Amino acid sequence: MIDKDFDLTRRSFIDHVLKASAGAGMAAAAPWAAFAASAAPGQKDRVRLGVIGTGDRGRTLIRNIAKTRNCAVAAICDDYEPNLVKGRALVPGGTPAFADHRAMLDAGGIDAVVIATPLHVHAAQTLDSFDAGVHVWCEKAMARTIADCSAMVKRAQDRRKVLQIGHQRMFNPTYLNALKRVKAGEIGPVTQIRASWHRNTSWRRAVPAGSDLERKINWRLYRDSSAGLMTELATHQLQVGNWFLEAPPTRVIGSGSICFWKDGREVYDQVALVFDYAGGRKLVYTSLLNNARYGCEEQIQGSKGTIEPELGRIYQEKPPGVPALRKMGEDVQAGRKRPVPIGGATWFPELPVTTPGESLGWGEYDETMLQFEVFGEAVRSGVPAPGLLRQAYHASVTSLMGEDAMDSGRPVDWPSSLVDI
Amino acid sequence: MGTRIELHLFGTAEDGSMIEARRAIEAVDDALTIHRPSPTTALNDSLAAGSPAAIDDPLLFDALVEIDHAYQAMEGLFDPAADVSTGGAGWNMVLFDREDARIRALRPLALDFGGFGKGFALDRACDVLRRADRVSALLSAGESSIAVVGEHPLGGRWPFAIPHPLQPDRILLELELEDSALSISSTVGEGTYAPDRAPMIRPGDGTIVTGRRTAVACARSGARAEMMSTALLVADGDQAKRFLDGEPARRFLFDFTGETGISVPPAETVIR
Ligand SMILES: NC(=O)c1ccc[n+]([C@@H]2O[C@H](COP(=O)([O-])OP(=O)(O)OC[C@H]3O[C@@H](n4cnc5c(N)ncnc54)[C@H](O)[C@@H]3O)[C@@H](O)[C@H]2O)c1
Repeated sequence: MIDKDFDLTRRSFIDHVLKASAGAGMAAAAPWAAFAASAAPGQKDRVRLGVIGTGDRGRTLIRNIAKTRNCAVAAICDDYEPNLVKGRALVPGGTPAFADHRAMLDAGGIDAVVIATPLHVHAAQTLDSFDAGVHVWCEKAMARTIADCSAMVKRAQDRRKVLQIGHQRMFNPTYLNALKRVKAGEIGPVTQIRASWHRNTSWRRAVPAGSDLERKINWRLYRDSSAGLMTELATHQLQVGNWFLEAPPTRVIGSGSICFWKDGREVYDQVALVFDYAGGRKLVYTSLLNNARYGCEEQIQGSKGTIEPELGRIYQEKPPGVPALRKMGEDVQAGRKRPVPIGGATWFPELPVTTPGESLGWGEYDETMLQFEVFGEAVRSGVPAPGLLRQAYHASVTSLMGEDAMDSGRPVDWPSSLVDI
Repeated sequence: MGTRIELHLFGTAEDGSMIEARRAIEAVDDALTIHRPSPTTALNDSLAAGSPAAIDDPLLFDALVEIDHAYQAMEGLFDPAADVSTGGAGWNMVLFDREDARIRALRPLALDFGGFGKGFALDRACDVLRRADRVSALLSAGESSIAVVGEHPLGGRWPFAIPHPLQPDRILLELELEDSALSISSTVGEGTYAPDRAPMIRPGDGTIVTGRRTAVACARSGARAEMMSTALLVADGDQAKRFLDGEPARRFLFDFTGETGISVPPAETVIR
């Protein structure tokens, strides 16, 4: 794509975000969206970012940062040489590269770090970065424990630094538009969200023969470094759930198991949880790794309709009409009078409604890029985009309390000792 | 109400009566729904707490009068209490003072107007349309509740055919209506589509009606037709006989469990 085309795409994308975030109630529900759309980064000096972790996600982030108009990668860091090499290939020659994040922080020359390392090192790297006086953009989920998530928030507040977490759905125009339509009452009060992320993959990565890198490369599969499906997948959807239900859950029950991939992993390959929200509302969550039929979706269900944002569709609840009565109307028009068959549908099975629904619009997203433009503006002004961190903090806590409920086999209440944001 | 209401209007109704009829239905829904805050949910809060409540909403009051009357007339077989099925308290635990429009429950309970609400809504809409001149209309709430106003648009009565629940090609019952309502209740196809009726519960002892039955009731009032078809479905043999004997052309009960039906309908029945 040439620059001019890209700029057009970008502008229409921002337009979509603006349009979606302009609805009634949206300023309170997604305060960062107006900030994102109005942030018009000029061609001033770019915010200098040091990327820690140039694995799969880190490299995707580097590509997105390159698309922004206000950020640039000024240093990279990875403690695994093969991945650092891959990271180098994406940045201008001469960009400093480090094997240790503290060395990168000591070297200076960056305004902020971008953390895309395994979950269990997020907290330490975040705290070190704040202590070194730079701002932090960190991938979701925030940290391996609720205490570490809280420590990250607290340190950001104490050091008056920006902490932004990578929950890109908050910048996705389809999600923003979905929320706008919920706020407008189009699907009635939302009483249940059924969310799932189903994949058919082992999640296992090949490890160089003879190496002792199993736990490093397959960090997702081990308890020390990951809460598995909860922090890797569910956290995105729990963020959406809390967002659409306007508050975090009050309680969760759940059950997890290693059911299919009995390959020495420690994290569940199948989870099922019910999150309670105020007023009896629920989020019913399942995730598994050996069947992809139902994929990734949040079915946001109200009394008047349903929204499926991943599919980008909105459905109205319309009990089916009675065909016999339509027929009667036609008969009368034609001057015919004959018995109207009635009561028949009473005996039909209640199958899912398969109406096509209506599109929520907009297929091309650049939400990951937009996250960084917003972060860049926040770093420049020293003021975080409103609302983002609270969403992310609550999403991480929600996913970790789910893990706790499954491990303990007991209901777990929303923790009372969180940091205020 | 959770049910789609259809309104088919023919003839020369005065402008606006269609909209007025729709408003009447919405007003009933607003008063009787338990799916969002309403006069009924407020009443249920009081009934659950065992505290007396004044009934200020005129639609809710009228509905309670209808129900109280029907409860007596139908030997307690129609009961609007939500948990009567699971051994909870029923309408017999309710003290309803019509004169003072006050109500109180002796044991905690909640009301759920369900199918009654559909019939009651149709009645209100029919009243509106009857006030309009020379109108001819058919109203339905789902497929199980029908009401007609006036004559068929082509003259005479409105013919209906109720298919056999087990053999859809066969007609179970044909009947003709004029200015009246019809309600069908059925246990056949249990576990399939019958959102507010399956499983059917016998109010007296809270047992599930396991027989394969279809009940049909006609009445001037849709609410009464609803309550009667429900009562017929759960009635025991003697009770059913008493209800059917009085009104052979307006009430029907088909039992598909055994060989013989309790009521063998005439092929065509005229309802006035
Ligand atoms: N937002 C999203 O959609 C999304 C998608 C994928 C991954 N992620 C998140 O991104 C993060 C990384 O995931 P990934 O799939 O890229 O993992 P990965 O294993 O591919 O990459 C992690 C990299 O971090 C490096 N690393 C580990 N410890 C380090 C340390 N102490 N110092 C420096 N580098 C270190 C590893 O060598 C590796 O190169 C995770 O938090 C994950 O949840 C987010």
